[in-house]
Amino acid sequence: MQPTPILVERRFPLDLAQSLGSIRDLYEAGKSERWDPERDVAWAAFDRAAYAPAVLEAARKVWSRRAWIEYTGLAETPALLIRFCLEPGREADPKYFLTVRNTEEAWHVESFHRMAEACGGYIDRPADPAWEPVINQTLYRQALDAGQSLDEYVAVHCAVEDGLELELYAAYLGNARDAMVRGLLERVVADKRRHAEFGWIYLASRAPQLDAAAKAGVARAVAAWIEGVALAGYHVPSLAAGIDARGEAAAAAACAEAGLGAVTAAAEEALFAAYLRRARARLAELGVAVPELAHPRLGAI
Amino acid sequence: MSAVLTTPTILDAPESRFPLDLSSRIPRIRDLFHAATRNQWNPATDVRWDDLDPSAYTEDQRFAARLYWSRRAWGEYGAISESPALQIRFCQEKHPADMRLFFTIRSQEESRHAEVCYRMAERLGGYIDQPVKTAYQGSVATHGVRKLALDPDSPLECVIAALVCAAEEIAFDVFKHLIDITPNPVAKQVLKLVMRDEVRHCAFGWHYMASRVRHLSPEELERVRQAVITMIEKVELNGYHSAWLAPETPASRVEVESDRITWEAGLGATVEELEKPVFIESIRRIRRQMQSGWGIELPMFTHPRIQGPF
Repeated sequence: MQPTPILVERRFPLDLAQSLGSIRDLYEAGKSERWDPERDVAWAAFDRAAYAPAVLEAARKVWSRRAWIEYTGLAETPALLIRFCLEPGREADPKYFLTVRNTEEAWHVESFHRMAEACGGYIDRPADPAWEPVINQTLYRQALDAGQSLDEYVAVHCAVEDGLELELYAAYLGNARDAMVRGLLERVVADKRRHAEFGWIYLASRAPQLDAAAKAGVARAVAAWIEGVALAGYHVPSLAAGIDARGEAAAAAACAEAGLGAVTAAAEEALFAAYLRRARARLAELGVAVPELAHPRLGAI
Repeated sequence: MSAVLTTPTILDAPESRFPLDLSSRIPRIRDLFHAATRNQWNPATDVRWDDLDPSAYTEDQRFAARLYWSRRAWGEYGAISESPALQIRFCQEKHPADMRLFFTIRSQEESRHAEVCYRMAERLGGYIDQPVKTAYQGSVATHGVRKLALDPDSPLECVIAALVCAAEEIAFDVFKHLIDITPNPVAKQVLKLVMRDEVRHCAFGWHYMASRVRHLSPEELERVRQAVITMIEKVELNGYHSAWLAPETPASRVEVESDRITWEAGLGATVEELEKPVFIESIRRIRRQMQSGWGIELPMFTHPRIQGPF
């Protein structure tokens, strides 16, 4: 394999001033709304005996999978942070913000792991190994790869993808009845809202500087991510065409029914399609035209 | 067009996330993560900025202090721009989840430190975005950790031992000293807040090494020893943290002089004659700890500004 090209840093002059006020506001909000999973989530209130064994089994699958997906950020965010530092002329505000984002991702990972443990035990890998290459996205390499446009990366992973995560978690929260789960998801959704806002705000700040070719590159990158990652079932397992996701769908349904912070596969798909329409419209406002794509079962997306 | 490095790194191997063990393997590091979570602070709101009256100082004092606190910000920035590469390494090589979790908040603390130093410089009249003389950049531009962390041939133990158990320990001792000698209450408060975090940063390194040392062969321990020596000789003794240790040039003299003016004003810096014994004792302590804990012997070091080997 060819070595991944990495930019050489030119540290000085080192600009640490605020230049993107709305992103600095997100950083300040992240600091002032800091939370402590140990103190701020009522773990002791979770009454495991109130749920049938089959429900708990479903919940541990659902929450373990969430931990696997959330875990992506533990390596991706530091890579993206470094990339912002290496890329000439990038502002200080995203760098500050990303350090807070990464802490929040760590809290999520630990909390999701703890939730799976509370439901009977965290599961450390997918039952079907076919999911592993779907989840192993090596995003930290993409983030640092000098051959990959930083603006494309931000558009795909910080705006579109983090926006989808927000939608999903907001839906999980909306369908959660267990008080402890609600408390956890309220914190997570608040964090994810800032994460998604960061992506869209930063992309909007960059759009005026992107020429037609750069915008076409962003559109291609978004389309490639939808086709290669989203439709492969990374966030919504039932979208996967090549993997049998009935087990994941059944677990989500049982967890949703019990009020343990999930929605059905059908609801996730509907939410995904609706979100993509909005994301596409939002991108179009920035001059990025994402082509229509097709899903074997859902049709045109 | 920016220059690009194309040497092999840990990034080149594909991710292999599973099995994804998230349980605690080094509980003392997990405890540090939880302690850091409990003890967060905010440079914007937790420092009594209004108590710092810039008009109480002369123009020269303000400029010197601006330069001093700006230099501190540059140093902290290195932990934003470089050290997060260690976290990629922890994940890519599947080191205990405790480390992966702790390092997220460690990077956030480093950004807090950069921010608070920046705010201090701003409060005193304005942050300065580069050394007054370009020649000094060589001393403060990098501690080389990103390169080491991404290098598959540099054992992680070497990086942690050098960066944390050597460089950060020295910085920690100097912080304690600065708190002792700094009369300005706002500068002292900033130093105390930063040091509160640095305690955990240092503990992380020693806890990690304690978990690893018994697994290292004599050859591997020798590499650790060499890495520590290199960090002390090439980075610390080159003035990364302390300007008076930098090679004697007009550029470093500007920095040293500004430190003296800042110290005289009581705004946070120290001077060679006060810091030297602290630095020497810090090296001695590190030598003792590495000898007793890891069984390695650091050599005596020399520096033109320090009399005799230390």
